[in-house]
Amino acid sequence: MATSGTRVKRTTVVDSRGTMCPGPITDLFKAYRNAKVGDVIELWATDPAAKSDTEAWAKRSGNEIVAAIDEKDHIRIQVRIVKKGR
Amino acid sequence: MNIVVVGGGSGGTLSANLLAKQLTNEIRSGQGSVYLVSESKQHIFQPGYLHVAFKGREPTELIRKERALVNRDVNLLEEPAERIDLKGQTVTLASGSQLPYEHLIIATGSIANPRAIPGLSEASLNFHTSPEESRKIWDAIQQFDGGHVVVAIAGVPHKCPPSPNEAAFLVDDYFRQRRIRGKVKLTFVTPYPRSYPAEPMSRVVEPRFQKRGIEVVTFFNVESVDPAKREIYSLEGGSMSYDLLLAVPPHRGADIVLKSGIGDADGWIKTDKNTMRISGHENAYAVGDATDIPISKTGVTAHLESITATNNIISAIRRKGELHKYNGRIHCPFEMGSGRAAFVIGSYDMPVKVVQPTRIRYAMKKAFAKFYWRTLSGNWDWLFEAYFGKTRTVERT
Repeated sequence: MATSGTRVKRTTVVDSRGTMCPGPITDLFKAYRNAKVGDVIELWATDPAAKSDTEAWAKRSGNEIVAAIDEKDHIRIQVRIVKKGR
Repeated sequence: MNIVVVGGGSGGTLSANLLAKQLTNEIRSGQGSVYLVSESKQHIFQPGYLHVAFKGREPTELIRKERALVNRDVNLLEEPAERIDLKGQTVTLASGSQLPYEHLIIATGSIANPRAIPGLSEASLNFHTSPEESRKIWDAIQQFDGGHVVVAIAGVPHKCPPSPNEAAFLVDDYFRQRRIRGKVKLTFVTPYPRSYPAEPMSRVVEPRFQKRGIEVVTFFNVESVDPAKREIYSLEGGSMSYDLLLAVPPHRGADIVLKSGIGDADGWIKTDKNTMRISGHENAYAVGDATDIPISKTGVTAHLESITATNNIISAIRRKGELHKYNGRIHCPFEMGSGRAAFVIGSYDMPVKVVQPTRIRYAMKKAFAKFYWRTLSGNWDWLFEAYFGKTRTVERT
């Protein structure tokens, strides 16, 4: 249980299955805007560009790809937010 | 039988006109009514904002009276809607009067909201909120004698995906025509990984930006702007100074959607991307920018979605046993400067393809702009269908 003054880290699932580029990365950015450092965004996507776009963004922005898991019909990309803002 | 259409933009006006055309006998014999609720008495051709901002077109050229565009069998109510009750099947107007309905189309559009980003409304000019705001860009670039111009996508999603790139091309054109391009540094700032979000069209844009000396900064999600320092900051931790900031604001759904609690946190209505039905409601539809459908928020998509939604309503009224399904066709004109334009073309099943800019396509874009007002009548859909081909399927139910 979180103690007073600490915040429970959230995992936000962003379901972009069925959307094509730039749908998944757009949804990721919307979630990033609302996320806090320590949170995990899990992006579900069927668009093949989602993985490479997310990896490129994470590398540039200093955020961390925790895992990219291939499911039967989509991919789950988990991004830990370790950097946001100045 | 009451049908209510909320919103007097492209999708709402066309939907009301299409319904009235197909239900003329019912309406004139008193068996039914088509109401169009429009909070504005004016109808604005929004794609024209670009030419107001970057070519000095007069804002008044983009505006017509809504009443002049509406079929005489439509009951046009020029006042704001206050609340939409999907469960109670009632639209409440600002005057307090209530419109019960059997079928509903919500076409309330999107709102460009510069205030969503701290400092953005004070620091930037935009070509998405109104003709008058667009005109301020024309005034500003005429007075601009050199420095750093930044064209930025300050939030996603936004109306008309090509419009930020178009702005960069057109402002480049403008400064070249004034022969001061050498004194202007021009930067295009985008949250996306490339100069245009859809990779095939980015391959068209990228070399043209390079040739024109338009620098591209990617993965820059605008967090805030400091108008005093003339500095933009990104969520990713970056910053950039500017002398003139032309920014596409983040968009959200309409106030009435938020007030009525019928959308998500940003005011987008959960809508079936094929049938245009609002999730969980057999007799209520959403079209155009108002939906949460992950395709371009443009007039063309609003038009094609309106055809689908109205056909489904007519099918229900006439018990035709047909379910019309939109295929997600997009067809966005994309001006790339020097009198050339391309189109962004795709659908749910067809990724965006490469289309090169040509003078003919620019002429087509201009012709469409002139033709826009007529398309709202619903009398020209045969031409749309001839040009676009099949944009929906019909299933037997």
